[in-house]
Amino acid sequence: MRGLAPPRSAVRLIGPLTVLVTWELAARFGLVNTLLLPPPSKALADLTVLISSGYLWKALYASLFRVVCGFAIAVAVGIALGAAMARVRPLNDFFDPLVELLRPISPLALFPLAILWFGIGDGSKIFVIALAASFPVILNTFAGARSIDTNLIRASRSLGASEIEIFKGIVLPASLPHIFTGVRLAWGISLIVIIAAEMVGATVGMGYMVLEAQQTFRTERVFAGIFVIGVIGFATDLGFRRLRRWLLPWYRETET
Amino acid sequence: MAIESGQELVRFDGVGLTFPGGSARRPVEVIRQLDLSVQAGEFVAVIGPSGCGKSTLLSLLAGYLTPSSGRVLFRGKPISGPGRERMMVFQQPALFPWLTTEENVAYGLRLKANRSNGRDVKETVAAMLQLVQLDGFARHYPSDLSGGMRQRLEIARALAVDPQVLLMDEPLAALDALTRRTMQREVLHIWEKTLKTILFVTHDIDEAVIMADRIVVMAQRPTFVLEIEDVRLPRPRLREDPEVGKVARRLSTLLE
Repeated sequence: MRGLAPPRSAVRLIGPLTVLVTWELAARFGLVNTLLLPPPSKALADLTVLISSGYLWKALYASLFRVVCGFAIAVAVGIALGAAMARVRPLNDFFDPLVELLRPISPLALFPLAILWFGIGDGSKIFVIALAASFPVILNTFAGARSIDTNLIRASRSLGASEIEIFKGIVLPASLPHIFTGVRLAWGISLIVIIAAEMVGATVGMGYMVLEAQQTFRTERVFAGIFVIGVIGFATDLGFRRLRRWLLPWYRETET
Repeated sequence: MAIESGQELVRFDGVGLTFPGGSARRPVEVIRQLDLSVQAGEFVAVIGPSGCGKSTLLSLLAGYLTPSSGRVLFRGKPISGPGRERMMVFQQPALFPWLTTEENVAYGLRLKANRSNGRDVKETVAAMLQLVQLDGFARHYPSDLSGGMRQRLEIARALAVDPQVLLMDEPLAALDALTRRTMQREVLHIWEKTLKTILFVTHDIDEAVIMADRIVVMAQRPTFVLEIEDVRLPRPRLREDPEVGKVARRLSTLLE
């Protein structure tokens, strides 16, 4: 009977499509105030305008540049610091309280300071993203490096592995699933932080574009922007999952 | 190079081991004045009350621990650390989860320290997998294997680097009763085929009697050798054999 059923990916489209169609019809037939809730077709039309005028690319480029820079710093610093904290006790004693103190602070609370320090341009955004996104990387790398089964290291030592071979062949692959989880979380946080930061203080970017559209009452543009942000988040997370399956085929994680 | 069967391979010479205490812990004396000699090619089982230090004995021999007093000699020389001539088989298999079955076996052979020994990696891996009857599972990851198969894989990985002694730390304890019986036969079969010396820690007296040439009975902690039983029964031995039962009963009164 399985062969007759439609593919699961098609079944999963039913929900979103129903919402879109209902929304479109409700707007067309005047059931809702289209000033507040314009039909999706209008948002789509505005999206094509945004694309053809090149405005979308400018905003996207500005946002993604900041995200990629901040994210890259967070990953590099996070992995290095997390691994170092896991292996060197005094480093852990020094950095752990700092991490735990800074971690609960909303990154946006630090944004005004960041603007003072780094200006209204890219620097302040990259700083808050790097800071906020580094925590999951630090914590997950730390957990990964700490949770290695000592018997794995003993076994490889008995087999004749040198310290370098143990690090490259055992410690690194054994912590990779944790590190990967941290990196994926960091990417999600980066995307959230950039939009919020650009709404608070920026002159270009996706967050700024959406806020500006709201202030000039172009609701369809607000929706178009939100849609693009959503697609980017969805697509990149899918990319991360693919990447994990390719990098860590041995690792079984319950999909969420 | 090859050591003659019947020659002394391992010697514990008045060995004592005390784990140093910390600020809040008292030092723990695990082993006191232990003497033991094992001949090449022997199958020696080690039994004793749980927590008495049976596994510690193997860790000393593997080179994971150093004695506080006395000497542990391997072929007449004090042991200075882990080495591929003394391979441990852990109770919970310490397989590398990111490597397939064949890669796990090949891991040791590909280490810098073992590359020059002239053995063909592919050939050795194939021979080892055949020996432990995993030839059909070369591309599987450890997580795809059953408990018994994992234990066989761990034995194959250890045998691949051609050790002189296998240190088996309750290798069958985590298996169900049926798999356990099969594995007892398997281990004996491997022993007979490879002529390796085996030290086999178990808490199952019957298992010890069925498998071993000699049984070392250890005392309560701080442990030493309470008695050594020569088992002169022909193999294969059956649990139901009254002769086996007689030896087992004598040993169990010793342990009470």
